[in-house]
Amino acid sequence: MTDKDHKCTCNEQPLVPKVVEVIDIIDRTPDVKSFFVKNPGDSGLPFQVSPGQCAMVSMPIGEAMISCTWQEEQEYLEFAIKRVGLLTDELHQIEAGQQIGLRGPYGNGFPVEACKGKDMVFIAGGIGLAPLRSFIKYCFKHREDYGKITILYGSRSQADLCFKEELFELWPQEANTEVFVTIDNPEPDWDGHVGFVPAYLEELNPNPAGAVAVVCGPPIMIKFVLQSLEKMGYQDDQVITTLEMRMKCGIGKCGRCNIGSEFICLDGPVYYLAQLRNLPPEW
Amino acid sequence: MKEITNKLQEIAARLFNEGKIDVFLAWEKGEHDFQTKSYAARNVDDVKNIVFNEYTIYNVSNALLKFRDSQDRIGIAVKGCDSRGIVRLLEDLQITRERLYIVGIPCPGLKDPLAAARKHGGLGKKEEPESLAKKCLECIQPNPVIYDELIGPEQTPRQQGDRFAAVRELEAMTPDERYQFWEDTLSTCIRCYACRQVCVACDCRTCIFDEMKPQWVGRETNTTDNMMYHLVKHAHMAGRCIDCGECERVCPVGIPLMLLNRKLIKDVAELFGGPEAGMQYVEGAKPALSVYRENDPDEFI
Amino acid sequence: MKVLRKAKLDEALNLLNEAHEVFVPMQKKAQSGYFPWSSFISGQDELMLEALNVYQSPKGVVLPQTEKMYRYRQGGMEIKIEETFEDSHPTIIFGARACDVKGILAMDEVFLTRGYEDSFYKARRSKNTIIANACYEPGPNCFCQAMEVDCLNPAGADVILRDGGDAYVWEVKSEKGEAVTAAIAGLLEEKEAALPQPKPFTQKVDYSGVAEKLKTMFDHPLWDKLAEPCVNCGMCTYVCPSCYCFDIQVKMWGEEGYRFRAWDSCMFEEYSREAGGGNPRGASKERFRQRFLHKLQFFTERYGTPLCTGCGRCMIVCPTDVNIVRIIEAIKEAEVND
Repeated sequence: MTDKDHKCTCNEQPLVPKVVEVIDIIDRTPDVKSFFVKNPGDSGLPFQVSPGQCAMVSMPIGEAMISCTWQEEQEYLEFAIKRVGLLTDELHQIEAGQQIGLRGPYGNGFPVEACKGKDMVFIAGGIGLAPLRSFIKYCFKHREDYGKITILYGSRSQADLCFKEELFELWPQEANTEVFVTIDNPEPDWDGHVGFVPAYLEELNPNPAGAVAVVCGPPIMIKFVLQSLEKMGYQDDQVITTLEMRMKCGIGKCGRCNIGSEFICLDGPVYYLAQLRNLPPEW
Repeated sequence: MKEITNKLQEIAARLFNEGKIDVFLAWEKGEHDFQTKSYAARNVDDVKNIVFNEYTIYNVSNALLKFRDSQDRIGIAVKGCDSRGIVRLLEDLQITRERLYIVGIPCPGLKDPLAAARKHGGLGKKEEPESLAKKCLECIQPNPVIYDELIGPEQTPRQQGDRFAAVRELEAMTPDERYQFWEDTLSTCIRCYACRQVCVACDCRTCIFDEMKPQWVGRETNTTDNMMYHLVKHAHMAGRCIDCGECERVCPVGIPLMLLNRKLIKDVAELFGGPEAGMQYVEGAKPALSVYRENDPDEFI
Repeated sequence: MKVLRKAKLDEALNLLNEAHEVFVPMQKKAQSGYFPWSSFISGQDELMLEALNVYQSPKGVVLPQTEKMYRYRQGGMEIKIEETFEDSHPTIIFGARACDVKGILAMDEVFLTRGYEDSFYKARRSKNTIIANACYEPGPNCFCQAMEVDCLNPAGADVILRDGGDAYVWEVKSEKGEAVTAAIAGLLEEKEAALPQPKPFTQKVDYSGVAEKLKTMFDHPLWDKLAEPCVNCGMCTYVCPSCYCFDIQVKMWGEEGYRFRAWDSCMFEEYSREAGGGNPRGASKERFRQRFLHKLQFFTERYGTPLCTGCGRCMIVCPTDVNIVRIIEAIKEAEVND
């Protein structure tokens, strides 16, 4: 792994959070909310992020590593957060104006430069669309640098589809872009595709020539999608995914988020499949 | 001891050959002469590794916890204290009697491999020449209380004098003195949780100390959190502790855990009567604090 | 050579203790570890400089079992971080063996490199001086030599003591060493001292090639057999001089609280348990394997040196006799397909 010179832009005490303010909160689904964050008093951003990077959201009750959505105009930081545990539960109860702690940016981010000139195939499930959304927005901001863009997204149900406005209105409008959405089971007012993401992917069969597939979602979905991509002829260096493990420090010190000798918080969470083949199969 | 080893191997081999068991739990020799480890023989070829010697002190009933979800039929060699551990697991519905073939070994008292290892390894103080392990000197039940087959002659309990003498000493202290004693002792705890892991009565799937939602006891090694850990753990032992002494034996900082456990054993006996935990197996029996009776003592409430 | 007569040891420790907190290997009633010299109670405690080593390692001096990080106050919509607890009072670890010093050096790699410096560790470590004690007679469980540790010349020590019978040879190795030497300059004498003949290791183990071989052995069936006796008690990780994994938690009451960190152990079930309930290392064998791979392979891959320092403590404290040397041998002998 490259020994990148990470610059923690928050301060010289990488384990102590900066205080930031939540300026707005939007409901995305019954258990996902987007939190928009700036320095207190609306005075700029605590740090810049590149697509795919994360930050440790810190409240008294606990801390969690959340993917930070890259924005075109870098006016605020956005975190799309699903309610799963102690901290996220607490977060879902706060109101705009609340101060919270934040430290970051952490992680290696997506290889946006290396992917220039490629056709991009984004495959996401559930809240997995949140990290990919950064990369997708980046591609649209630099549209001429990337080839055809295919977005395949699936969720349990219609209500669980995140970022509906992007999925159904904004992204399909972009040049040379196709968006496919699926849900697990039929629903009365849904006339879109029904079925799991891996099967739908094989049906759509996007051409691997000159393409890069970027995958994010529940571990079980990732597993089957990777198998499908292999069947479809994607080489290991054409597939990118993001890993997750329990994290505490976020800076590669506390030891727990390792897969092999890699710390997911520091060296990852973004990996080419070719790199993953060299790691113990714990993911 | 050699005789018992041979007999054990013979029995285990026979059980495998008759197809009566899938695994036989006992001990095998460890690295040095004074070390042993728990051992799971899986076929008749493994049987030659089974030993019983003066260092096979580890409570092998603790190893049963790894098998509670499988269907394996298990042969197991137990000493007096270990057999009480089996009763504990049966009462707690962690394993069924039908799965077990219990070979009981009346125990002559054993030595502590950890004490021997410390002395041999040169760590810390040079300790006195080895005698029987402390827990064996305090043993009240060397003969297995539950078994399918017994090997070896009956043994006499080794506890001399008042079993609760040390507890009474503590009881005689003023509350301040007692608090100071426990503060001094428990502040040395490094929260390694070894006492919990070797305890056969600690059979919860998710231990209360591993829960985060909510977190019941903090993780710091200050007096407050350490005291809470020990108070809660031992409260969970009340009426359930089988007095095997493993917790105290493995503690790396020498906390007198059996003082707490014996205090509870004494109190439960005085308040609720009945046989001590794990002393006999009666199907359907429950520990004293798992049963509500209308005439239960309640002066302390 | 400069020597410090053992008769003057107490005086030297007192002098050093004036400007530093000096930690010495001690037997304190039932505990055996590194404790402050100022807590020594004559007649009750015993200084263990002559013993091979003590039960608990000195890692707690730079990475305490529990350590407050910062205090906060929450009022309504506001949160304020009121105080961070960086402890940079000068400390000395006196009498550490090479295996323990290596443990601290390994932690330096973790906490002070790779892009981030852990400010809490840095504060403690930058003011910490190590006076090491060279080993002339390895113990029966020692195998530091096989793990790239030179017990006669502990790398990273600021001063090396060599036991010459009635006096210690005092060998200064660094600037920090010079500084503490100045404090006791009056007690040191220029003298020749006869040093003992180094005795050989009785425990032979060959670590060469193990890290490489382990890359191919993640799913090897030998882990089932090796992990069987392990009860995941965590003692090995706590007495290990180089185990450094920590947990970050919070203590709060009402609107105030503080965040702290505490030693954690890969042996504990909830070590890798995720919020959604998933646990990549839920089974005992998986955690067991993680510990040994970390010690023998992952750390070597990442930092170029194994994390096991060959001190032998884990083999002495394990209630079910799990033995890392036997595990290394089993790995070397194991058959691997492709």
